[in-house]
Amino acid sequence: MTKQRQQRLFILTFLGPPLALYALFVLLPAVNAFRYSLLRWDGLGAPEWVGLGNFRKLLSGSSDFLSAIGHNLFLTFVPGVLILVLALFFAYMVHQRIWGARLFRVAFFFPNVISSVAIALLWVLIYSTTDVGLLNNLLKALGQKEPIAFTESSRLLWAIVPMSVWTATGFFMVLFLAAMENIPETYYEAAKLDGATSGRQFWHITLPLMWDVLTIGIIFLVVGGLKFFDAIWVMENGRPSPATHTMSTLMYSKVFEQYDVGHGTAIAVLLFLLVLAATLVSLRLLRRERIEY
Amino acid sequence: MGRLVHKIGGGLRYAVLAAWLVAVLFPMIWLLYTSAKSTQEIYQNPFGLPKLLTSPTAENAAALVANYRKAWVESHFSRYFLNSLEVVSLSLALILLLGSMAAYVLARFDFVGRRLIYYVFLSGLLIPMQLILIPLFFQFSDMSEGLTGLLAPPVRAMGLGDLTVSLHDSHAGLILIYVAASLPFTVFTLTGFFRTLPGEVREAAMMDGASEYRIFFSVMMPLAKPGLVTVAIFNFLGLWNEYLFGLVFLSSDHLKTLPLGLASISMQAQYKSDFGLLFAGLVIAMLPTLVVYLILQEKLTKGITAGAIKG
Amino acid sequence: MKRFVWVPVLILLLSPGCSLQQEQPGAGIVLEVAVFEGGYGIEWHKSVARRYEQQHPGIRINLWGDPRVDEKLKPRILRRSPPDLTSCTLPVWKLIVAGKLYPLDEALDSRAYGQDITWRQSLVPGILDDFRYGGKTYAVPSNQGAWVCWYDARQFRRHGWKPPRTWREFTALSEQVKAAGVAPLAFQGKYPTYAWATLLSLYQRLVPLERWYAMQDLQPGAFTDPDFIQAARLLQEMATRYYQPGALAMTHTESQMEWVNGRAAMVFCGLWLKNEMKNAIPAGFEMACFPVPIVEGGKGNPRAVYSWGAETFFVFADAKHPKEAADFLKFMLSLSSAHDYVQRLDTLSPVKDCVKGVRISPELQSAVDVLDQRSCLFSDRLADLYLEFSRTALQQSLADLMSGKMTPEAFGARLEAAIEDVRRNPEIYKPPARGVPTP
Repeated sequence: MTKQRQQRLFILTFLGPPLALYALFVLLPAVNAFRYSLLRWDGLGAPEWVGLGNFRKLLSGSSDFLSAIGHNLFLTFVPGVLILVLALFFAYMVHQRIWGARLFRVAFFFPNVISSVAIALLWVLIYSTTDVGLLNNLLKALGQKEPIAFTESSRLLWAIVPMSVWTATGFFMVLFLAAMENIPETYYEAAKLDGATSGRQFWHITLPLMWDVLTIGIIFLVVGGLKFFDAIWVMENGRPSPATHTMSTLMYSKVFEQYDVGHGTAIAVLLFLLVLAATLVSLRLLRRERIEY
Repeated sequence: MGRLVHKIGGGLRYAVLAAWLVAVLFPMIWLLYTSAKSTQEIYQNPFGLPKLLTSPTAENAAALVANYRKAWVESHFSRYFLNSLEVVSLSLALILLLGSMAAYVLARFDFVGRRLIYYVFLSGLLIPMQLILIPLFFQFSDMSEGLTGLLAPPVRAMGLGDLTVSLHDSHAGLILIYVAASLPFTVFTLTGFFRTLPGEVREAAMMDGASEYRIFFSVMMPLAKPGLVTVAIFNFLGLWNEYLFGLVFLSSDHLKTLPLGLASISMQAQYKSDFGLLFAGLVIAMLPTLVVYLILQEKLTKGITAGAIKG
Repeated sequence: MKRFVWVPVLILLLSPGCSLQQEQPGAGIVLEVAVFEGGYGIEWHKSVARRYEQQHPGIRINLWGDPRVDEKLKPRILRRSPPDLTSCTLPVWKLIVAGKLYPLDEALDSRAYGQDITWRQSLVPGILDDFRYGGKTYAVPSNQGAWVCWYDARQFRRHGWKPPRTWREFTALSEQVKAAGVAPLAFQGKYPTYAWATLLSLYQRLVPLERWYAMQDLQPGAFTDPDFIQAARLLQEMATRYYQPGALAMTHTESQMEWVNGRAAMVFCGLWLKNEMKNAIPAGFEMACFPVPIVEGGKGNPRAVYSWGAETFFVFADAKHPKEAADFLKFMLSLSSAHDYVQRLDTLSPVKDCVKGVRISPELQSAVDVLDQRSCLFSDRLADLYLEFSRTALQQSLADLMSGKMTPEAFGARLEAAIEDVRRNPEIYKPPARGVPTP
């Protein structure tokens, strides 16, 4: 066997299995999703071709889908802004090598290694209106007379905001901290010589130099918000109401509760398009001149 | 004066950090000590220290033992835990193997279609799992039927009984999905990593007459360890906590992973008004990953750092 | 798809935990029974299964329960590998129309276990009406429910409170309770549809049964009917004035726990309440119940009781052993199993005479008294029949009505619009009108 044939065989054996697996279990179903989204099908009998009918119905004014998108956007941006601000602040503080920096870094990350199901259940306990409810007891001690029903469907999205911030801030802090530590010390020294305050240093050195990582962080947040499923599903005990459905929970309910495969997959396709658009837009809007150092 | 303002500002900033520390840690500590109380005690005294701590008698320890025994044995938490361990470790092994194989070839060899294949993998980063969930569900049914039709006759001919293959409700099926869906991120990250490795090492090994396979497994893989650790950590966190696919593809109780088991325990606890069980279950679900994290946290932070700089 | 088959074969063989199941020939029949594990638990079902196995060698019953059994089963039905028998909330009518459920008539017309009549004759009349399609019966309930208001008689005696008979008495009592520093009503707010039976009972108190059943038969305008709006107003007043603070975020057990602990005086619930809360009920607690109060000036039958066939079992057409599953179901609903059911779980069975000659608890006696004064029973089927209606519009607008965010008029209009969608949707199967059932 020639050396070249040997190499070709090597490439084939190494690239073949991963590519086949990926094609069979990701690409093929992804293509099929588009096909399914054009069908009226209950998963039981014979499917019927309806063209864009499913999409038309989903995007018409009276559908649950539009409010579900709204919920996703809420769950993306409201916690997202808080997470970014807090994470940047914490990362900056820890980066200053203040006393206890290591403890803060390690502890703030904790919630990220806990499963989202466990976190949702923990917050159900925190919010509970019974005697167990941590928060309501705290409010009672502060003079609030009647317990507040935080997890009532119409308030649940708001109740998820602190939970998301509590969970995700640590991750983004570590991410941003990594970016900050990557900035050469010489920049700050030069700035200090010029007499720049720490605030000015942050705005003019730190932030611009970590712009790439910030972009990635924002994409993570947006994509995560658009895919939101676990906490709603758990906190609503598997029965989200129109006031709490997100795209993912609605998709699940359509297919596995109501046996409406066409609408369910159409939601998945729209979710995909939104993720695609959001990623591209974030990259475009935030991709400033990359600063090389 | 300016110094004073600075000091107050510093104090304020510290206060925020400290408050956040309490907010993050207290709920977990609360879970831990409340799991030592009986449901009755939780109702009477939800926040105080458990009787077990204030007066450690055997009688007061009974609640703790009962809660954990109920969770671990009666509610099958031990089973869920082992299932998660099995699914995640096998998935990780396959992800690292297949991912680094593909990444290595894409990074270090030149051949027709290389860029195209790289971008095909990369495009997977934009595909949310939700898009493939439903088609995969039906694809699994078709594939299971196909496999059964293909394999059952020869097995029967060998006198081994009736064989049915099902990708649904099996760890194998879930692992296949997890591996395939993790490949884009893994290949992307590792390709970047393999590109940075020095080429001379490979050439030196070639001179010694080592085959490409040997070079990969005994030279390149060890060099790529930091990259593999990064990928392993990210995939571990994602898979260990994965809920949606488990919910759809696993229905038998004895196959459930930890997040699924936890959700069903919380329902049981609700129907039986058993808070003790719920608290114990939450502690069991949280503690192992927290401990692993505390041990590995240096590596994990480095992994994120590497990921951030590469990304 | 079959072209790709050989690729995963390789991986499957490499991967432990793959599901190659071997069925040994001649090892007997294994029935899989998946039970909804709710307030009644599954201990009774297990004991019935053990007895059945003893009497039928060669049949083994793999019975399991889960509070989320529907979440487990729905995907399995879609991939055509359901259990043999189940009791869970499913889009039943979709399954019936798609031919996915197994007709039970053959079993129903065979001799009942331990009695000289057919199984059908051994059941309470009318209980099988709900799931009939094309002349066949597709479901048999294992429980007869009743919707009542529960209280602790000891607490009532201590305060000198009297169980109310009319709505005015009920509100007066609630004021009294409130003045004593106790919340009048616990409510299972996390599941707003718990209020549906109460609302429909109030509506029944206001109108003759013909009109009540016209709503069931999708008559246009039923939800904007002033009497229905009036019922909604009563519910709203009750909710905003007398529900325990925070109740709207409580799960069923959380709120019932408040009631058991004496911090709420009353709770509307079904008969499963006792069994659901049995671990939490303190010594000396005296559970008793009264029917939904009649409304002054209402034209409804004052002795009607909201009562329905519950914990309903289905056999799947795709099951491995549907015939045997139907026979096991018949055994579950034999008179002797029913006696055991009533005694163990303090509830009622749809088997005739299930309480005759059985010593029953005072709690159940209290419920039986309510049912015995009946002149007729009525029950809703809209919520089960049209999940498109109940899982979205109904659930949401009930929550909004009770929290005071929605006026009773807007509530009626919202439901009318939602039911209009159902009426217009040709994909939703609507069974023929049933009118007022004749006893």
